[in-house]
Amino acid sequence: MSAVGSDTPRVDGNAKVSGAAQYTADIDLPGMLHAKALRSPHPHAKLVSIDVSKAAALPGVIAVVTRDDLNGLNPYYGAVVEDQPVLAMDRVRCVGDIVAAVAAEEREIAEEAVELIEVEYKPLPAVFDVVEAAQTGAPIIHEKRFETQAAIFREQLNLNAGGNVCSVFRAGDGDVDAGFAEADEVFENTYRMPPVQHGHIEPHVAAAVWESPNRLVVHTPCQNAVGLQEQLARIFNLPESGVRVVVPHVGGGYGGKTHARLEPVTALLARKAGRPVQWVLTREEVFLTGRRYGAFVRMKTGFKRDGSLVAREVEVFYDLGAYALSGPANAKTGSYVASGPYRVPNRRLTTYAVYTNLPPAGPYRGVGVPHVAWAYESEMDRIARHLGMDPVELRLKNLLQEGDVFVTGESLVSVGISDCLRQVASGIGWRGREEQGNGASEGSLRRGKGVAVIMKSTTTPTASAASVRLNGDGSVMLLTSSTEMGQGVRTCLAQIVAERLGFPVERVTVSAPDTDVTPYDKSTSSSRTTFHMGNAALRAAEEVREQLLEAGAQALEVDKADMELGAGGVRVKGVPDRSLTIPQLLRVKYGDSVGSIFGSCNFQVKGGLDPRTGKGKAAAFWFFSACGAEVEVDVETGKVRVVNVATSVDVGKAINPLQCGLQNEGSMLEALGAAFFEEMVFEQGQPVNGTLLEYMLPSMEDHPERFQSLLVETPHPDGPFGAKGVGEAVIPAVVPAIGNAVANALGGINITELPLRPERVVAALAEREAGVTGEQQP
Amino acid sequence: MRNFDLLEPKTVAEACRMLGAGGDDDVRPVSGGTALLILVKQGLLRPRALVNLKKLEGASAITRDDAGAVRIEAMATIHEVETSPVVREHLPVLAAACHQVANIRIRHLATIGGNLAHGDHQSDPPGVLVALDAEVELSGAGGTRTLKLADFLLGTYETALEPGEMVTAVTVPPVQGRLVGDYLKFTTGSSEERPCAGITALVRLEGDRPVEARLAVGAVAARPLLLCEAGPTEAALESMADRAADDIDPIPDLRGSADYKRHLVRVLGRRALTAAWKEACP
Amino acid sequence: MRHLITANVNGRERELSVKSNQTLLEVLRDDLRLKGTREGCSVGVCGSCTVLVDGKPVSSCLMLASNAEGREVLTIEGLGAGNLDPVQQAFLDHQAFQCGFCTPGMIMAVKGLLNENPKPDEAEVRDYLSGNICRCGTYVEVMAAVEDLTRRNDNG
Repeated sequence: MSAVGSDTPRVDGNAKVSGAAQYTADIDLPGMLHAKALRSPHPHAKLVSIDVSKAAALPGVIAVVTRDDLNGLNPYYGAVVEDQPVLAMDRVRCVGDIVAAVAAEEREIAEEAVELIEVEYKPLPAVFDVVEAAQTGAPIIHEKRFETQAAIFREQLNLNAGGNVCSVFRAGDGDVDAGFAEADEVFENTYRMPPVQHGHIEPHVAAAVWESPNRLVVHTPCQNAVGLQEQLARIFNLPESGVRVVVPHVGGGYGGKTHARLEPVTALLARKAGRPVQWVLTREEVFLTGRRYGAFVRMKTGFKRDGSLVAREVEVFYDLGAYALSGPANAKTGSYVASGPYRVPNRRLTTYAVYTNLPPAGPYRGVGVPHVAWAYESEMDRIARHLGMDPVELRLKNLLQEGDVFVTGESLVSVGISDCLRQVASGIGWRGREEQGNGASEGSLRRGKGVAVIMKSTTTPTASAASVRLNGDGSVMLLTSSTEMGQGVRTCLAQIVAERLGFPVERVTVSAPDTDVTPYDKSTSSSRTTFHMGNAALRAAEEVREQLLEAGAQALEVDKADMELGAGGVRVKGVPDRSLTIPQLLRVKYGDSVGSIFGSCNFQVKGGLDPRTGKGKAAAFWFFSACGAEVEVDVETGKVRVVNVATSVDVGKAINPLQCGLQNEGSMLEALGAAFFEEMVFEQGQPVNGTLLEYMLPSMEDHPERFQSLLVETPHPDGPFGAKGVGEAVIPAVVPAIGNAVANALGGINITELPLRPERVVAALAEREAGVTGEQQP
Repeated sequence: MRNFDLLEPKTVAEACRMLGAGGDDDVRPVSGGTALLILVKQGLLRPRALVNLKKLEGASAITRDDAGAVRIEAMATIHEVETSPVVREHLPVLAAACHQVANIRIRHLATIGGNLAHGDHQSDPPGVLVALDAEVELSGAGGTRTLKLADFLLGTYETALEPGEMVTAVTVPPVQGRLVGDYLKFTTGSSEERPCAGITALVRLEGDRPVEARLAVGAVAARPLLLCEAGPTEAALESMADRAADDIDPIPDLRGSADYKRHLVRVLGRRALTAAWKEACP
Repeated sequence: MRHLITANVNGRERELSVKSNQTLLEVLRDDLRLKGTREGCSVGVCGSCTVLVDGKPVSSCLMLASNAEGREVLTIEGLGAGNLDPVQQAFLDHQAFQCGFCTPGMIMAVKGLLNENPKPDEAEVRDYLSGNICRCGTYVEVMAAVEDLTRRNDNG
């Protein structure tokens, strides 16, 4: 192999360093208008009346849209349940809900017009805490239950819980009560993780134009071009082919651009204006548009004195905010892994996806897993400390192994997790049991190390289609709807195609998503692209390869099995001078040296879980990863410095080790922010720190002094060249590893609420001084 | 950004006239714009006109007179202050604090005059300048007047500026002997955050003899807090930090509660004073 | 209200009519169509809109366009004159970017750093560049690119 496994430079490199790469905000369509929205100042209110007459009369305003403009359309949309109106209908459900929108000749005019819109609200009782929202008697946020269009969700989610609970998912096995009875010790603790921002530096943005009443074109940095196409088609009563979604370069996504966000309103404005409309959100609006779910986790664990886990019961409440997006599916993703990557014979795992009157959340790198990992990996360290065991040994004793049957009933393959753990332990110089003792100290500084391991599924069942086109000059185009958002997917897919065709990578171009041209893809999410689209591209290339070999064999009158690809064409194995170039092969195939040779594949993974039993096949492949961290805590100020972080992922096979490393570095840094300071704060539903001045993202100075990205390669039998996904694999392990390192530095205090702000650290120490342990003893 | 007129005076007198012509919030001065434009963008300020002070002639010099007073014209950027040979040599603590402001891009835009006139308590320079006993020169239609910076800063976004007045310079009076010590910026989150506390600890030496200790606490309360102790001893330093913690009236926010900030003042105050003392009496 | 200013943008003298409330970023992107300078936060925190004014990095989102009067403005498009600038080449060599949105700003910040300090040590690099945010987290590679450039400065 040459292309696969090499640190091939990014195929989009030149465009990105030169500044020539075009992002959606850089698009300038002829006659384009600028949009601005009027957003709700109330977390929950009835929408009594809207008067847009003054705004519409302002010179330069071309269109104003409200709920009245949705007559005859399907106003509600959503990835799982159709609960989100394009514009507020009878009520607003969060601060920032879009009530009206304006398209004007200039941005300033649109801004001014929005202020002229008069709205009468009647405030309603609101609920912000996820656990309170799930109780009977909480203010109801959605009065009607919404239908889901997607059969897969109808079949796989429990959407009939009632109240504000949008969905429930249960997984389990064994006899949990008997398990707890059999346990020597039982720990029970609760954990909280706040909402955080995706933080993509490119804000949400879209440009829409109607080429005719039946033809909508939308440019948007969407991670899910086909899904957006389907949603827009449904809203506007068009066939899917009536909507073209084009994805330019994308300035970061991390899950935040997976679902329709501002595209429906932009399209509605363009339709009414009869002109192209572009909408670039301000950063303040981004804060009201998407975020990671906050969560409350209750975890009860029964274990034996020898450290073996015997029972675990977990309840998780994910805060969806006002609209579900893919929340129910993401909460499901958290459920079956809520007991961790461990052998636990008896478990009862329940996750609730709950509406609140906060701005909507949505998938963010790791979806529902970071929340449960924070809890179960903190618990593992508490158990180790209680038993006087080495936390690494305790984990190794309980970790899942190749071939184990998981709680979902499936057998696990490509389970390199023990190796991942050993790698990170060595990467941070882990010395064993003594790491839970008193770490090195100097003045007010205390050192500590911690580790964590996680597992995560990729969304299943799904499909990805790809088409490979070989041109007469021997260059190759891969047509795919996978979105390049920085993760290197174009480079990775080019490597896979080049590898299969035996061509240099430079001869392969990978398209951007354009639903007029590129075939179906479930979405660029769940770290599924290398595996699913990689398989589709591999097989599509395989088809091209077969045609070339066949044409060559026919022309050279040898057996196809004796042919091979090489030197930019085909040749007879071992006889280098008996070869044909691509133009020659085209002539053999078509009678002329012009034309294209196509290969295509619709790669599908079947599976899914039965919502009544939680059994089935949860994942086309599983991620396993580990993180080790060393920190230095200033016990007087509570400030923590991160000295060293090592991450390790079982990637199956690294198609591009360098880019795998970058994914892990990015995951680590996002998690580092969430560990120490990232937290969206709301007061009565109003954002308190909704700008990048008040909510900061990790900087170069926040970067750990030392960082190592380590890889384990346990080839996956179904992966392209054995590869699995990597994008999200590390992120859930980093926060608990850091948390455990801080706990060890503090001499054994696990703080249960994130982020680990200095004041929390100081308060935890003060509580121990005062004799309040903060930890529930068995 | 909302529309406004940008008035561009060439002289201070012209600028003051323009400023005096508007109501309070109707006409505002702008220099670097790094704070004010954010408020305009966010709709928190809606000025009819901004008076651009950036084009005033000769308004950014940094000089030291024969007596040893350092004068910084208001339009000197934070970066110019930070890298000024005069400041680096004679007021290294001010250079250090200015280096801690925001990021390099902002330091190239923001001015020292703008920083002080904005009156944001969560900033690095005000506390240090109070510790240095700095004065601000204000110019208005009626001429110029000079105020102690400590008397100029009245609270968060509140200063002693009268309508039609602007800051034209900040001066640090001559130091009897020499000052040693440093500025300590503490952030609770990212390195890029504004200070949760900005502690300046200085010991003034005459010859080798420490004659005075100063502790200024910035960014914690609405105004910087300054404590001075004549004839300091090592033991007195600890009580000085305690006194600062007792005296301060912290503004609680996302960076910490009032209690936590008080605690920080005690801890960081001790540390900064101890470090200054070590430097003074090695 | 409009202001007639003259500024040198990427080596070319330009006479520009700018609005009172226009930022340099808006003039570059909207009027001059230099789209490589990007807006991320609009409050001077993220660094995506970094350009050099008289060789020094500024947040063009917070600089009033009128203040570009008489200044030299350099954007990503002004680098390299047809070829890649050494900083751009170093970013390619070290794969010091992912989504690329912050990259032009980061490259301009590195230009500013090397203008001010041709041989920064690691702490100085971190300190100077810490105001340019890469959410994809490609900091180690950016530092390696700068180290590489610094080494060349050493040799030169």
